[in-house]
Amino acid sequence: MFSKLTVSLAACSMLVSASVAATNVIKIGVQAPITGQYANEGQSIDNGVKLIVDQYNAKGGVLGKKIEVVTCDDQGTAQQAAICAKKLVNEGVKAVIGSYTSGATEAAQTTYNRAGVLQTSDGTSDSLIAHKYWTFFRNSFPNSAEADYTAKYFVDGKQYKKIVILSDYSSYSTDLADATIKALKAKNANIIYEGKIKSGSQNFTATLTKIKAMEPDVIYFSGYYTDGGLLRAQQMQLGIKADFVGGDSNDNPDYMKLAGESAQGTLLINVPTPDILPYDIAKTFLVDYKAKFNAMPASIWSLMNVDGLRVILHVMEQTKSEDTKVIAEEMHKLKDFPGITGPVTFREDGERTGGGYMTYEVQADKSYKIVYQ
Amino acid sequence: MDIFLQQMVNGLTIGSLYALVALGYTMVYGVMRLINFAHGDLVAFSAFIGLSVYAQIFGESATSLGVIITVFALTALSVACVGVLLERLAYRPLRTAPRLSAVVSALGAGLVIQNSVMLIWGPNMKIFPSNLFPSTIWAVGGIVITFTQVMILGVSSVLMVGLYFFIHQTKIGTAIRAVAIDQDAAKLMGINVNRIIMIIFIIGSALGAVAGLFIGSYYRGITFDMGWMYGLNAFVAAIMGGIGNIPGAMLGGLLLGLFNAMITGYISTQWAETFTFVLLIAILVLRPTGILGETVAEKV
Repeated sequence: MFSKLTVSLAACSMLVSASVAATNVIKIGVQAPITGQYANEGQSIDNGVKLIVDQYNAKGGVLGKKIEVVTCDDQGTAQQAAICAKKLVNEGVKAVIGSYTSGATEAAQTTYNRAGVLQTSDGTSDSLIAHKYWTFFRNSFPNSAEADYTAKYFVDGKQYKKIVILSDYSSYSTDLADATIKALKAKNANIIYEGKIKSGSQNFTATLTKIKAMEPDVIYFSGYYTDGGLLRAQQMQLGIKADFVGGDSNDNPDYMKLAGESAQGTLLINVPTPDILPYDIAKTFLVDYKAKFNAMPASIWSLMNVDGLRVILHVMEQTKSEDTKVIAEEMHKLKDFPGITGPVTFREDGERTGGGYMTYEVQADKSYKIVYQ
Repeated sequence: MDIFLQQMVNGLTIGSLYALVALGYTMVYGVMRLINFAHGDLVAFSAFIGLSVYAQIFGESATSLGVIITVFALTALSVACVGVLLERLAYRPLRTAPRLSAVVSALGAGLVIQNSVMLIWGPNMKIFPSNLFPSTIWAVGGIVITFTQVMILGVSSVLMVGLYFFIHQTKIGTAIRAVAIDQDAAKLMGINVNRIIMIIFIIGSALGAVAGLFIGSYYRGITFDMGWMYGLNAFVAAIMGGIGNIPGAMLGGLLLGLFNAMITGYISTQWAETFTFVLLIAILVLRPTGILGETVAEKV
């Protein structure tokens, strides 16, 4: 009898201590495409977040609490993103890092906003800040910033006379293509064709053959690397002499593998690649990342997401608060936080200010040469 | 005119791939009255097996006729084994069951294969080496033809013609046709129906394996879930040509490839798939047996 009582008492006290322990961690969510077409990017975001969190935890965490990472795989799709958003909110996360694609980010935004969970994403679609959610912060730069740069490069730099714009049906790609077309038209450029390809359909020869007859100077593709690599390879096979310019999401090692020998001469437009970032924190981060995962981050996008996390943790420490409302307010006030990808400042609608795009030409050995800044 | 001819070449290339896959559908249907929905996933599986065979045995830089033939032969052999296993486990126990059970089993088997591919090779896109075939390109007039395209067109034509003669000129071919008409009567004539069905699965899977390898070497990027797209298109091709009819599957595949290329080239990408299914419905309404299908008088 007595022993039974002790056992149940002990069990009770264990439960209590367990629930106390549960409030002793701060949960940070990662919503990213861990599997699927963009797995390479998603895994890299997850790795980056875990690296920073480990470094914080080694120093005793934040606000005296350990940080716990909860990852949810949205596969880069809107449907899975909506499921992830509910799951992460139920888990009680304070903030969510991600997602990689604008479509998946947008599908989850409202859920996080309702629950008062902070979200920071590298999605570049202009529509992401349209809602002006106080919970949302973009850790990359918007499509319109890239579009203005691209238009300037095409008209002032390259003086292209016949421009072809290709996109896929994703919200990121459509948005970037639309913004680029708008920026080009503002500069009176001659766009001879605006078309769409179906992402993942592998065979783009029919569309490219049609384009060949128009004898363009440049084919600009605003989609992702998995299609971009194939488009470039098939362009070269068909003997289309135009330049191939890829938007930021083509900047990925898999682009090089898919395009094979045809990768050479491709022009890619993006913010600086990880290895040429001039900041000391960037160099330290890359060394740590390489040591832990024995690979380089997939692209600059992982680093943007890592910056999103670093800002949130920094502000938590500054305000000594876990209240997301307080944190968000402080994040809006932040000026030039030293990020891995450069100074971070957010506008009132969650937009990150700045830009700094560059054009790289892919060399025979797959390395980059900066050709326009 | 050049553009039109180039679209023809593009269309025929993908059409031959559809035709090779469609043969698998049509032969199984002809003999067993079963739509083998797992066939598309088997094609995806063969692309992955082929990549592994190539990378593991030869390393990713070897290139010669011997290497290509060995890779194709080993892949076809292993995929044929999986095809036979598929029939043993998923279809044979259900041969006398209602037809719906077999269809459900086929869909389930497809999911099993697809998920196995994902578990073995991972969910990420895998990339075929670019040097399995030489990167030679011929420009004839304004048309461009690559070595890989010539291989696809040539090898699939040879296989299709070979299959046609195999079915119509050999003893086993005659037995296959007999089983297709009436399994019980064929049994009474001393034909081993199980053996014939096994042969059908071996041939169908091997053709699918060739298609899978071509898809890998032509498009380079392969994903575990790509079987669905090729399976669906090949299925439409088989229905178009007249399911159960071997020349029909070849014709259906080539026509579908051409049709897709022309719609994409002259109308728009958005509509290519929609038009495929509009075409399918039109054929089913106007000629329910397909282009080459014949209405066989049913026994009373």
